[in-house]
Amino acid sequence: MNEILLSNEVIVYLLSESVLYLLLLIAFFSTVSLLRRWNFQAFTSEQFILENRSYLVMTIIFFVMILKMLLLPYFVYTIDNLSDLVPGAMCGAGVIKANRYGNLLLILKIIILFLSGLWLSLNRIDLKAKNYPYVRLKSWLFIIIFLFLSAEFILDLLYFTHIGTTNPVSCCSVIYGQGGGANGLPFGLDISKLIILFYLLYALTVLTMMGGLILISIFATLLFLYISYYAVVYFFGTYIYELPTHLCPFCMLQDHYYYVGYVIWGSLLLGTFYALDSAVMAFFFRRPSVKLKRISLLFLTLFVLLCSAYVGVYYLKNGVFL
Amino acid sequence: MVILENVYKIYNEGSSQAFEALKSIDLEIKAGETAILSGVSGSGKSTLLSLIAALDKPSSGKIVVGGELISKLPDLHASAYRAKRIGVVFQHFNLLEDLNVEENVIVPLIHSGLPLAVIRQMAAESMQRAAIEHKAVQSVNRLSGGEKQRCAIARALVHNPDLILCDEPTANLDRANSLKFIEMLEMLHGMGKTIIVATHDPLFEKLSFVSRVIHMEDGEIVKP
Repeated sequence: MNEILLSNEVIVYLLSESVLYLLLLIAFFSTVSLLRRWNFQAFTSEQFILENRSYLVMTIIFFVMILKMLLLPYFVYTIDNLSDLVPGAMCGAGVIKANRYGNLLLILKIIILFLSGLWLSLNRIDLKAKNYPYVRLKSWLFIIIFLFLSAEFILDLLYFTHIGTTNPVSCCSVIYGQGGGANGLPFGLDISKLIILFYLLYALTVLTMMGGLILISIFATLLFLYISYYAVVYFFGTYIYELPTHLCPFCMLQDHYYYVGYVIWGSLLLGTFYALDSAVMAFFFRRPSVKLKRISLLFLTLFVLLCSAYVGVYYLKNGVFL
Repeated sequence: MVILENVYKIYNEGSSQAFEALKSIDLEIKAGETAILSGVSGSGKSTLLSLIAALDKPSSGKIVVGGELISKLPDLHASAYRAKRIGVVFQHFNLLEDLNVEENVIVPLIHSGLPLAVIRQMAAESMQRAAIEHKAVQSVNRLSGGEKQRCAIARALVHNPDLILCDEPTANLDRANSLKFIEMLEMLHGMGKTIIVATHDPLFEKLSFVSRVIHMEDGEIVKP
């Protein structure tokens, strides 16, 4: 365990997380106080102080959330680097499965990423108004996010302090390999049906987003995210590794694959977030945004094209598919 | 045009060195009026002007300018309010010494989004109104006190605000230039502008176009 905690990446990561959590803890107490006493219609000294303080607190939350978003790829980079210390691990897949906290921690981080993005969007429209219309909503959302962040912080500590360096872990081919076939795929799909569904859902997401069918676009986007994970791991990833048995979401983050995993997963997550963000803003706040839709489409299309390009290039080079 | 209700401004509030710069200010200035805030140094005139200009926020109370509640404006909107709705003439001019007259006058329009040709046209008109157009390319640090004041007035008027605030505008001027400044104020009054002047210069007390004189003492409005 000591080698894990004393590695440079883990020290930087845990130190950063601790500082950011401390700042958010302070923001949390201020937000609770603000929620209890906020009354925009009052012109009392207390309300003026609250308004000044809310600007400061929201600014702190804003910067901390941005930094937290940047810490997520660093977390992935950290666990990938730890694979050198964890026996049996060839990449982050093995390290994440080194104890029972890893998978939960990663999923929690992605949930926090999306909620933080939603908070940032809400903050942006609140700051454009003159009468702080969303202060209460922002504050409640932050409190919910903070509960998740507290769980994340605890899980961070548990995870890194429980990574063993004596017992070997499973490598990605064991974790994700299912001996051929579609055993690991959802809804009983096989690979070809999975890929057809992948492209259909992409088209559905694009069409419903551009057509303004908000609720359907939310559903399509979330389903596309879910299916994309399996499509990348069980199909497109094999073309990145040029090996049909190499199934792994983490190996593509390494330097011998030119870190393309960061672009693939990053564009998928960003595209999904902006799609959901534009839908939420339009549906709940009556603020449709063509700009958010365009950004989403840009990232989702980049994701689909990049994944498809690996298949296309392999076929052009070899004349066959894997 | 300008309404203040029960406005307080307390510096260092909550500490042992708390100081009440303004106390229970209730004031209404109608559109088109020219009002003089008179009082000795430290009476709260400049503080009151800074609150109306949204350069600062009150400790409590309500300030409405042109129908807009400005005492609670977030910083971004306060900046937009200052850029679009008011013009301020400061005691020490606050001109940018490295720029010339025209460039100083253009500064308020930098973020207006207007084409440069339109901005320069507006600046030319404003400099003409302030009788400083002949010094357009002159560097500000080579102007006399009176010329600097006219440059400051041109800058305050360039975006055609409805409300003009002047803080001790003649404090650094000789009598001749002070009278010229008063002539300019009369012209602005004739244009229908609402003008508030904070001053302890006795020249302002008996002017015919002044609607009212508001006396301040120790942060309060008092009867003369």
